[in-house]
Order: sequence, then C-alpha cells, then structure tokens
Amino acid sequence: MLSVKGLRAKVGEKEILKGLDLEVGRGEVHAIMGPNGSGKSTFAHVLSGREGYTVTGGSVTFEGRDLLALTPEERAHLGLFLAFQYPVELPGVNNTYFLKAALNAIRSARGQPELDAVAFLRLMKERLKVLHLDDSLLKRPVNFGFSGGEKKRNEIFQMALLEPKLAILDETDSGLDIDALRIVADGVNALRSPERSVILVTHYQRLLDYIEPDFVHVLAHGRIIRSGGKELALELEEKGYGWLGEEAA
Amino acid sequence: MTAALDKGLLPWLAAAPTADTVPSGWLEAQRAQARARVETQGIPGNKAENWRYTSLTRLLAQGFVPTAESLTAVQREDLEDLLIPGLESYRVLMVNGRFMPGLSDLHDLPVGVRIAGLAALLKSDPDALQGRLNGVVGDAQPLFAALNTAGLDDGLVVLLERGARLERPIELIHLSVGMDEPRVAQPRHLIALGDGAQANLIERYLSLGDSLYCTNAVVEITLGRDALLTHQRIQAESARAFHLSGLYLRLGTASRYQGLNVGLGASWARTDLCVRFAGEHAECDLQGLYLAGDGQLMDFHLDVEHQLPQCTSRENFKGILYGKGRAVFDGLVRVVRDAQKTDAAMTNRNLLLCEGAEVDTKPQLQINADDVKCSHGTTVGQIDPEQLFYLRSRGISAARARRLLCLGFAGEILDALVPEALREQVTEQVGRLLEQAPLD
Repeated sequence: MLSVKGLRAKVGEKEILKGLDLEVGRGEVHAIMGPNGSGKSTFAHVLSGREGYTVTGGSVTFEGRDLLALTPEERAHLGLFLAFQYPVELPGVNNTYFLKAALNAIRSARGQPELDAVAFLRLMKERLKVLHLDDSLLKRPVNFGFSGGEKKRNEIFQMALLEPKLAILDETDSGLDIDALRIVADGVNALRSPERSVILVTHYQRLLDYIEPDFVHVLAHGRIIRSGGKELALELEEKGYGWLGEEAA
Repeated sequence: MTAALDKGLLPWLAAAPTADTVPSGWLEAQRAQARARVETQGIPGNKAENWRYTSLTRLLAQGFVPTAESLTAVQREDLEDLLIPGLESYRVLMVNGRFMPGLSDLHDLPVGVRIAGLAALLKSDPDALQGRLNGVVGDAQPLFAALNTAGLDDGLVVLLERGARLERPIELIHLSVGMDEPRVAQPRHLIALGDGAQANLIERYLSLGDSLYCTNAVVEITLGRDALLTHQRIQAESARAFHLSGLYLRLGTASRYQGLNVGLGASWARTDLCVRFAGEHAECDLQGLYLAGDGQLMDFHLDVEHQLPQCTSRENFKGILYGKGRAVFDGLVRVVRDAQKTDAAMTNRNLLLCEGAEVDTKPQLQINADDVKCSHGTTVGQIDPEQLFYLRSRGISAARARRLLCLGFAGEILDALVPEALREQVTEQVGRLLEQAPLD
C-alpha cells in the first residue's frame, strides 16, 4: 500500500533524508525508531505533505498513486492520516464542527454522501465508546487549552472517525505519562484492522510495550540502517543505538 | 460659511426639520447651535487628528440630502426576509430614519418601560426629553453629531424606570430604501436606564436592495446606578451605502455596559464610540468585529475617558480584511490624574488575507494616574500556516480551511452575541461573506 524508494529530502539547504526505503503492506504495523535528528519527523512530514521540505529524489507510491504529487488534503482523501507530535491549537474552531467538516470533505472526495448532523453525532458517539473517551473534548475549540494527553487523545479520536488506510503516528508517546500513554495505545489497538496500516514513529521502545509492531526499523542519518521484528526494539532498549555502529551514533 | 462646507455639506443642512415636529424653544435653540457649530467647524481636512486615516472626499461627493417625507410604501411582507428566525423581541422599525409604528411590535411592554418614536414624543411630551436630548453628546459636538442635531427629528426613545427589566431584547431595525436622489437619514436614539434597570438593545442597520444612501445615526445612552445594558449593533448596510454612527455613553455608579459592534456592510463606514464615567465601579465592555473587502472602508474610533477612580473598561476589536478592503482602528483610553484603580485593557487584532488589504491601527493609552492597571496591544497578521496545514491534513480544502480559521478568529466576538438566534444569524452572515471573499 505504501512504497518508499530512495527518498531524499531537504529542509532549506540541509539534506535530512538520504535515500530512505520502506515497504508497508496492508494491515501491517511498522515502528520507525531512531535517535534525535535521524529524520523520523521529517519523514512523517514529507509523507503528509507539509510545506518547508524539498523532495530531491526518490518516490513514494500510496495506493498506486504518486503521493508526492498530491496536496495534503488529497492525501487525506486517499486515506493517509498523520497524528501530530504537536497537535495545533485552533482557537474559535469548534472541535465537533471541525470533525464534521473533515469527515464530510473526505466522504465527498470519495463520492460518498455527506453525513447530516444526526448521523454524524451518532457516529461520533459510537467511536467515543470504542475508545472509552468522554465527549468533553468535543465542545471545546480544537486542541485549544487541551493538556498534552488530551491533545494526543484528540488525534486518536480523529483517526477513529476518519478511518484512514494508513495512519502515521509521529512521536505520539512523547510527553505522555503512563496512564495517558495507555489510553492512547488502547485507542490505536482498538483501531487495528487487516485493512489499516500504521507507522509508529518513536524515539523510545516504551510505546511498543503497548502497541506491538510487526516490523521495526532503525532510522539514522536519513536512511533505514536496520530492519527486523519486534525483538529489534528490545535490543535497542537494552543496548541503545550505539551498538549499531558509527552509522547510528 | 466656508467654501468647503458650501460644496460638501450644505445640502445636508438645507432641509428644515419636518413640519409635524412641534418646534419647542429649547429644541430649536439646540438645532440652531448645532448648525452654527457645523458652520464654524467646517469640514475637517486630513490634518485633523480624528480624520487622519479616513478621507471625507468620497462621502461629500455624493451630494446627500436629508430624507424629506416618510416612506409609507414599505409593507410587512417586505420585512419577512429581514427578521431573525426565533428572535423574540420588542421590535421597532424605522424606514429611512423614520419611526414606523405600524410596522413595529411593542405589545406587552412591562410597567416602567417606555419605547417610542422620538418625533412622536417631541410632539406629545417634549418635557420628557428636555435635558436628555443632547445631554450626553453635550455642546462641543463633533461634526457629524452636530449635523445630526441640526437635522434632528426622529429616532428611537427607550426609557426604563428604576428597577425595570426587559426579558426580551429591544430590536431596532433601521431599514434604508434607496430613493431617486441620494438621501441621508439622521436618526437620533435616546436610551436611558434608571437605577438597577436592565435591557438588551439590538440595533440592526439594513437595506432593501443595493442602493446608495447615507445613515448618520447618533445614540445617546445614560445608565443609572447598577443598571445593565447589553447593546449589540449590527451594521449590515447595502454595499453602496455610507454609514456614520456616533455612540455617546455615560455610565452611572456600578453600572455595566456590554457593547458589541459588528461592521459588515456599507462601502464607507465610520463609527465613533465615546464613553464617559459618571460614577465609580462602573464597567464598560466594548467588543467589535469588522470585515472589509474590495471597495470597503471600516473605521472605528474609540474615546474612553476614565475621569473617575475604580472603573473598568475593556476594548477588544477584531478585523478581517480581504481583497482591497481597508480598516482603521483608532482607540484612545485616557485616565485622568485622580482616576486611581482604573483597570483598562485594549486590544485590536487584524487578519490581513490579501496583499491589497490594509489596516491602520492605533491603540493609545494616556495615563495620568499612578495606581492603575492598563494595557494595550495590537496585531496585524496572516493566517497561521501551521493551522492551515493541520486542517488540510484532515482532508479540508485550503480555501475551506482558510474560511474556518477566519470564522474561528471572529468566533471570539461572535460567541458573545445574545440571544442565540442573533448569534446564529450574524455568524451565518459572516460565514456567507467569507464564502464570497477572495481569501488569498
């Protein structure tokens, strides 16, 4: 479903991604780990279409389409979802209104009828239940004045509602205490399905205690230097990144 | 009379007040005095502090003449589209500056509340108005207030006796209908709340059709001790109209004024808000929202004087400018020497969505007391790219995302509108304007 080949990208004049290869199949959960500055977040941002990055080489194919040629909204319509490391506050924009606008934009881009207010509320309630969330966040402006944990939960809730084919979680575990982490992880696990793929971008092994990946990749200096199963994450936890040699340090 | 006045404003002064107003001596004297004031002041040039950013040239070139006769052709059916669904109000309808009792709805007013047309009251009970009319504006009237006084003949009068409370809002619909000649309507509204009285006044400036006219409204408000007035003003004049409005407010001890000005319509609009405290512990809250697109000017001038201790004022105005829209925010808060414990905060924030849009913003504090809490701030910015990207990453198109963010920006002000029916209607109207606006 996602095929990344030799991806190179720059921020300003600085090359961050230097030939990244990754294949993600349907229903798979991939963890991308790496030290600070290895290019993890850049990779997530380039996939989502954020401005400020120049792709200088390689290709990204998603669901048979050239992902890099699409606008951020077109990528979302195709089924891509980025859970932000730092969800953006939108003062004055009501969360429920925002969610409905997003869902209906995606539905109409896919040729599905838009949901009316009643059908939307019903769907929202159902998804809240699956995630064991209460509805207090929905009446407030998007992420505005939310705690760190609330922001991350709101990201996962959006994911539950928009039902992406590929969700990229960018350091979703950062800044969360263990209880908040468990809530977020439970949410992601509840959304796991043979139809949905997940890329977990994380610095720490901790998240992987709660969300078990099928594959683990180590990213260093803009390239994936090692791939393996979940045991690779345990090794990293034990030995740090140093044992992977000069390349990772 | 100066030549400049001769060219521009003479027609405004030409028509005598209508015959059906009984010329009380004191009123005639006030009119004559105002007329003399217009003549001696002349037309302010661009050097005049109050008109530095806004030129009168376009307004004066129109040759507006006062509305002479009342327009009776407007029927109830014409109003249906103008009413706000679900808004239960005491409704006062004015057409081209004239109170229309037949189109108004003032049934079941509680005891202690008087709502009437100014012209009718000047005829039936002029004594009730002596001392009140021009009581807040005073003698040293600025040009357009003086013009309003010189041509004064009709408007809305709301008098609440001590302790009177209105559960429903009073809704003034000021409707303008284009005439063959470009007309100026100069309504004068008088609002007086006795001690402890409470009311919600909604002023809506609307038009039938897309016509050229001018409104020059003056509102005088006095609040007694502990009185509470919520005052919401929606300027949605026709796209070709000129709109001037001056609000003169005097707050009694521990009274509260919650004012909200929304400027959406007109080609050229100037609003002056002038606040004076007549007792301690009073609170004045002025909020505003303005949108301006191609060919539009929105000018807000605030003059808030804390001349007594222990009063609070808040001034919070937000603007959204697009196309070649222009806005002016000139806010002045003055704290005199002995007005200790004054608490004043003024902000003006603007979103500039297009290259050609422009805003002149000048919030000023003049503080002559040493134990006060005062602040001011202003921002002029664009849509935050991070916010835009966040929305787009959720599938929302760039254009829609910009509109959502603009509405969110406006939401802080719009959310303060009461009751809900009014909030919904104005929010929808702002949404429609943004829908049509070029936002990048």
